This record gives sequence, C-alpha cells and structure tokens, in this order.
Amino acid sequence: MNAEVPAPIKERLSAAGIAERDILHAVGSDLCLDGRYGEDWAVATPDSLHVVSAGGIDSLALDRIGPVQVESLVSGGLLTAGRREPDAADADGAGSPDETERLLLRFSNSRARQFGAFAGAVAALQKGDEPPAAEALREQTCPTCGLRYPDQERAVCPRCIDKRGLFARVLGYLRPYRRLAAVIAVTMLAATALKTVTPLLSGRVLFDDVLAPAGRYHGHVLPLVLLIVAVTAAGVAAQMLYQRLNARVSVQMVYDLKSQIFTALQRLSLGFFARKQTGGLMVRVNHDSMNLSMFFIDGLPFFVVNLVQIVAIVAVMVALEPVLALLLLLPAPAVVLIVKRVFPKLWRLFGRQHRSLAILNGVVDDSLSGVRVVKAFGQEQQEIERFTPANDEVRGAELRTQRTLATLFPSVAFLTQIGGLIVWAAGGWQVIGGSLTLGVLITFATYSALLYEPMRFMTMVVEWWSMAMNSAHRIFEVVDSVPEVAERTDPVALPHMHGAVELRGVTFAYEPNKPVLHEIDLTVDSGEVLGLVGHTGAGKSTLINLITRLYDTDSGRVLIDGIDVRDLRIADLRRQVGIILQDPYLFDGTAAENLAYGRPDATHAQIVAAAKAAFAHDFITRLPDGYDTRVGPRGHGLSGGERQRLSIARAVLIDPRILILDEATSSVDSETEEMIQLALERLIRGRTTIAIAHRLSTLRMAHRLAVLEKGRLVEQGTHDELEAAGGIYATLVRKQRDALEVIGVGAQR
Amino acid sequence: MNDRRDGEDKTDAAAEKRRRKHRTRVLNAAELEFDRNSGGFVTLTVRGEEPERYERINAFRTFPLSAADQYISLRDREGDEIGIVESLEDLTPAQAAVLRDELDRRYFTPLIERVESLKEEFGYSYWTVDTGAGRRRFTVQSGKNNVTMVGSGRLVIVDVDGNRFEVADYTRLDRSVLRTLEGLL
Repeated sequence: MNAEVPAPIKERLSAAGIAERDILHAVGSDLCLDGRYGEDWAVATPDSLHVVSAGGIDSLALDRIGPVQVESLVSGGLLTAGRREPDAADADGAGSPDETERLLLRFSNSRARQFGAFAGAVAALQKGDEPPAAEALREQTCPTCGLRYPDQERAVCPRCIDKRGLFARVLGYLRPYRRLAAVIAVTMLAATALKTVTPLLSGRVLFDDVLAPAGRYHGHVLPLVLLIVAVTAAGVAAQMLYQRLNARVSVQMVYDLKSQIFTALQRLSLGFFARKQTGGLMVRVNHDSMNLSMFFIDGLPFFVVNLVQIVAIVAVMVALEPVLALLLLLPAPAVVLIVKRVFPKLWRLFGRQHRSLAILNGVVDDSLSGVRVVKAFGQEQQEIERFTPANDEVRGAELRTQRTLATLFPSVAFLTQIGGLIVWAAGGWQVIGGSLTLGVLITFATYSALLYEPMRFMTMVVEWWSMAMNSAHRIFEVVDSVPEVAERTDPVALPHMHGAVELRGVTFAYEPNKPVLHEIDLTVDSGEVLGLVGHTGAGKSTLINLITRLYDTDSGRVLIDGIDVRDLRIADLRRQVGIILQDPYLFDGTAAENLAYGRPDATHAQIVAAAKAAFAHDFITRLPDGYDTRVGPRGHGLSGGERQRLSIARAVLIDPRILILDEATSSVDSETEEMIQLALERLIRGRTTIAIAHRLSTLRMAHRLAVLEKGRLVEQGTHDELEAAGGIYATLVRKQRDALEVIGVGAQR
Repeated sequence: MNDRRDGEDKTDAAAEKRRRKHRTRVLNAAELEFDRNSGGFVTLTVRGEEPERYERINAFRTFPLSAADQYISLRDREGDEIGIVESLEDLTPAQAAVLRDELDRRYFTPLIERVESLKEEFGYSYWTVDTGAGRRRFTVQSGKNNVTMVGSGRLVIVDVDGNRFEVADYTRLDRSVLRTLEGLL
C-alpha cells in the first residue's frame, strides 16, 4: 500500500462495502476537482478502482476502463483513465465498455510522485503484472520538529540538522594539525592574559603604588613603564604568533576541504549534475568553503579570544571592586539587546544595496554581452532606458544605507560608552569619598572599553556560526553523496569487447511521471551500424546515455556482449565505448592534449595518426603553434567543423569497440561536411556504431535504422525498407529532401 | 513556390496540413462551442462550412503571466494546434467559463489573499497562506528566482515541489511579512 488511508476515508469505504483488507494501493490527493485544497482519495482493490471525493464514492471496474495514468500539468497533474477499445471479452455479453476518457482526481505537484507510483501500480494490476516495487512515498517530514523537508529527496531538516555534530566533524579536519592547534590555543590564552594585565599595571599599579606618595613602589616610574612596555610587547608578539599559526592551519584546512569536494564531484554521476545547476555547485566549492574558512580564520579565534577576555576582565574586576563591577555591567544587557535589534536593520539595508547592485551589474553585463544584437536592431535607447531604473535603484539603496550608517554607528558607540560613563560617575564619586583609589578607577575605565568592544561582536557570532554550519552541511552533502551509477563490488571484467549491444524492455525517466523511454527492445550486432532517428525529444540522446551508463535504467536491462552494463567494470566500459558529441567540448589546453584526452599516454606519432584519420591533421598543422596551439574556451577559436573533427580524432585515438555518434544538427559547408563524412566512415568501419543521425548521408551509411517517437521504438529496418513502408521515417526523409530542394531554389536566384 | 509544386501538392493533403502548421489559425469565437463531456474533459465543436469535432481538447495560455485571457491555444489530443482564441472576452460568459476552468486547471496558481506567516531560515522560506483555494503551507528555496516580480507589485512564487502561487500586490502585505519578503526577491 502506498499511503496510509485515514480513518474517515476507511469508514466511508467500508460503508460502501469495500473492506480494508482488499485495498491493494491507495493514494491521497491534496486538491479537489473543483480547484480547492482538500483530500480526495483513490484506492485500488483487486478488480476495481474507487475514487473517494466529497461527492461520494465512484467505483470503476478495472476491466471496464482504459489504462490508468497520470497527466502532468504546469503545477499539478491529473489521474485519468484512458479510453478502452472494445475487445473480444465484451462480445460475450458483458455490455459495452467505458469508451470515454475519464478524469479521476486532481493533485498538486507536491503529490506527483505518489500519484505516479499509484498509477504505475494500478496499470500493472490492469495488465495482470506484478506491481512495481513500492518505494516508501510518504510525505517526508522531520521527526523532531514536524517540518516538511524542503527537498523531498533529501531527508534533511534545515532547522534540526545536528549543528553540533557538524561542528565536531569540521573540527575533525583539525586533527592532522592538533599540535599546532594546541600551540595556537596556548598563545591565544597568553595574549589574552597579557592584554588583561596591562590596564591593571597602567591604572592601579601606576597610580596607587608608584605615583601615590604612600605607594609600595613609590617613585619607580621607569621600571614600571619598562614592565608595561614588556608586557604589551609580549602580548603583541603572542597575538602575532597565534594569528600566523592560525592562518596556516585554517588555510590548509580549507585547502583540504576544497580538494575533497572536487574529488567527490568528479566521482558523482551525471544525474547529480543534471539535478543541481552547475552554477550552484561552483558556489558550493567556492562560496561555502570560503564561508567556512572565514569562520575559522576570523570567527572562531575571535570568538574564543573575546570570550576568554570577557571572562578574565569580569573576574579581575569582581576581585578588585565587586560593586563597581556590577555597576559597569548594568547596561550590558541593554547594549546587547539594542545592538541585536539595530544590526539586522543594517543587514537588510546592505542586502538591498547588494541586490540592486547585482541587478545593475546584470543589466550592464547583459547589454554589453549582447552588443551585437543591440546594434543590429538599433535598440541603444531601449538599453539606456533599461539601465536608468536599475541605476536609480542603486542610488536609492546606497543613500539609505549611508544615511543609516551615519546615525547608527555614533549611536551604538555612544551606547557602549554608557558603561564607561557610569564608572566615571560612580567611581569618581567614590574616589572623592575616599572609598576607591584613582588607580582602580582608571583600570576600570580602560576595562569598560575592552569589555564592550567584543560584546558587539558576540551578538553576531551566533548568526555567523549558523551560516558556517550550513555551508559545512552543504559541503558534506556533496562529500557524502553516493554516486547513483556505482560499480558493483565484484564487477565483471571485459577487457576485449565484441561489441554486441542489447536493450531489453528499457524504461527510463529523468523526473518522476515523465518517462522519456518506454519499454525499448533493441539489438545491435557486433560491427553493425545502427542509425537512431526521431524528432527532437524523442529519446535518442537518453538511449545513448543509458548504453554508455551515464544513467542507469529504471526498469529493463542494457547488455553488452550479453552482460548487464551494471555488472561491468566501469573502466572497461569507458575505455571501449567512444562517444562523439554534438558540440564537443574542448578543454583549456593544447590541441594535442585535447586530442589525447581519453588516452593521455599517447605518443606524438599516435596523435598525428589519429588526427590524419579524422582529417584534422591539415588544419591543426596550419595553426600557428601546430599541435601545441592552445584551444578551448580561452584559446584559439576553432570552427564548428574543426571541433567536430578534433572530437572524431579523440575517439579514433582510444580505438573503441563501440562507437556512439551524436551527429550535429547544425550544418557546415559542404566541403567540411564531406571531410567529416569521410572521417566518420573510416572510423565506423569494423566497430559497433550507434549513431544519432540527421544527415541523409549518415543514414545511408547505417546497416539498419531504428525510429524513436515519443520514447517508443516505432520502426526498425533498412533505409529502403523504411522508406517503402511510408511511416515516420519516410516522412522525415521526404522533409529533408524538400528542405534541400528549397536551398537549391535559393541558390539559383 | 506554387509554380514549382503545381500539380504535385494540390492533392497532397498531408503537405497542406504541414503548411497550415506554419500559419496561425485564429478561430472565430462565434463558431466555437465548448462543452464538458461525461469524463470531465472539454470538447470542442467548430461550426462552419466544414464542421470539426474534437472529443477532448487541451487549452494553453500562450502568455500565462502577461495576458492570461488572451491568445489561448487550443490543441487536440495529439498536441497539434487547432487554433487560437484571441480573447476569452469574445466568447459568451458561459463558454468562457468552461474554457477558463480548463485553463485554471492546467495553470493552477492560487492567489494568495493573506500571508499568515512567513519565515526565512537557512536558505528556505516557509509560508502559511490563505489562498482562493484554501489554506496552504509551502516551502520555497531562496535565491533561485523562485519569487519573481511580474509587473508592478505582482509576485509569482514557485515552491520546492514546483507548485505556483501568486500575490496580486505585495506592497499591501503586512509590514513584518514585507520585511522578510524583501530578502527573498
């Protein structure tokens, strides 16, 4: 059963004669048919489907309705029963079947996964199949606070994540440096102690013991000054030492973290990258590790130092003059409170300023990057008009921030001085009354400044900590991710493939309820060239992703030489399956490095031979630095045709048994096309080839063609057979001929 | 082009259909008859010289944000466009209601009437709202354009599951809500 049916629904069902023990599958909606939120249910019993809504219970015999399925809409979906064509069973006098399509239930996207699973289970019931393995599809909520997990695929509650555990784990990165960390802690404490002692010397000792006529060390000004200088110097030295050491350790820690994230990213499957935006991942690597490093370089040491200092000062003051100490601390809670209230306002203002600036930068970037389009359409004025409001916004935001800053900081500074003022007033009065010495008063005055300065920082530390722990969490999430496409523990080694590929009942969806491939059965013999044909979005690229095991199938199997690819050693698979992509990516590096990407140990002779085979040798030689020319995003710009040939050469060099070819749709000039064609023909010879083909010439090269339409394999055969059959393939071929004709007409004019 | 294709394509109904696909067919509102069949789906009859009957149509807003009631694309079961309804106002109120129901089903976007609570924490915002469809709690991931301004004051919000919500004029929300909201925009 997919979901727990609530008691009132159960009662209504049993009142209608549907026993609880007969319920096989159930799903609850969050949206009624009339478009209001509410809970309708659908339950399946062995032979019927019952829809429970406010209007009553609608029971439908499973063999009277068409296939139960889910239709995805923009922000929700429908559970429907399709049309059912009359069949032999109906002739037996059971009456006419239900021929209209039926709308059963409506749901919001929050329930899409549950409904998809339910529809799958009911469809299996209708077909008499085993129901698909039931996933636990209950709505995921945090067991501690009841919050619904923001990301249903991640059982992580941002409110209840174990921050302390995380902190401990982050601190674990300190372990290799524990000796240095111990030194840092000791020097930190020493620096703080020395800093606390100084006001005592320059206040109480100087005034009461040295300057006062009755003092113990009356007249010894020079030794005291020298002592103060020595203590201060020692304090500064200690501070310098711990800051330097701390920088060394924390920078190294962040370095370790970053390399760990990057290694983890490389290990993860393509599906992970498809789900998360690449930009978001870069943020993780850079921003989150930066956040953590800031916290460790600045936040944590500051926190410790300040905390120790506050405790030390308070202790010394209480020991000296408990009453005055109390007076000095009196306004502290108020100051903390006010700072805590006022600063968020400042953050908001800064945030607004930051955002408006980002928008402005966006406008400028957008407009300058698209300057060719702007000029071509003569829309300079429109761009200026786009810039102006964004610029106004920035001006306004900056003005507000500056104005607030101008009043805020002096007020806060004044507030933090109040403690000091109280000491002067109360202490001064006591000094005149003779119950307090001048030295202690001066010591207290200095302490008040030392005390209130760190307080401001302490109000922010919680937020800072929270932010750093969230960054840590995101980082660990990547580090801990398990690749979906993982090698078995005892994989089958296949060092020499024959290259026979077989797909058996392969079904696959990137997102729940949106299958891209349905039950594909396909065999490609060793050495055969198969052309994959179909409209954009028919599932051709997905099929290739499954054969190369960039993704794993949802159901069904992909076999190479009769072995399930999931059982194969991944290294064997990658080495013997070559891919030529539509728009090959060239890394920042030389032509030779790019060419040898799949086989970094290739010799110069092998590289040149591969380039020659791919008709890339001639243009590479013409480049200013030949094979050493830097290509890629920051290098020498290669044309589309050149990049394609380089990518063919890449594949030639690894000499794959199975070749996957994703042909570019973009057209190149006919001479280049011919060269690419020749290069491909040479490459394909003797290898099992699966080609997503668009050009007629490539299609003709194929021994056999497979036509995909909306994720289903609809036609299979040779070029001639399919053209004669007059199906989808014939239409595609005719369209392409028509297009060629149109180009021909254009050329005549 | 006609000279060249003369005689070949005139009889070719498929080619005609193909060419039609590239032209916008604006439907005459007076000729349309929408109805809801027993299965709960919308049917369409296009009256005229050659009447057409569609047992189930799907309706799409071509400008769901900027012109929700204009340029409605009607499509048959296979997803091919039957034609465009220029404006719902051209239809009789009863007919417009049938079509609007269908559109609202596809583009289900409840209008938020009141924000009871809005809290931002750790990269997600948690909303409890009263909408035209009833009360709802949802979660929005921050900083991914999930809360966007369309037109002055109008907000479209997409939650973590991909559900959509709308605020007609956010400046009229409570001050405390506004303050949190500002950080999300």
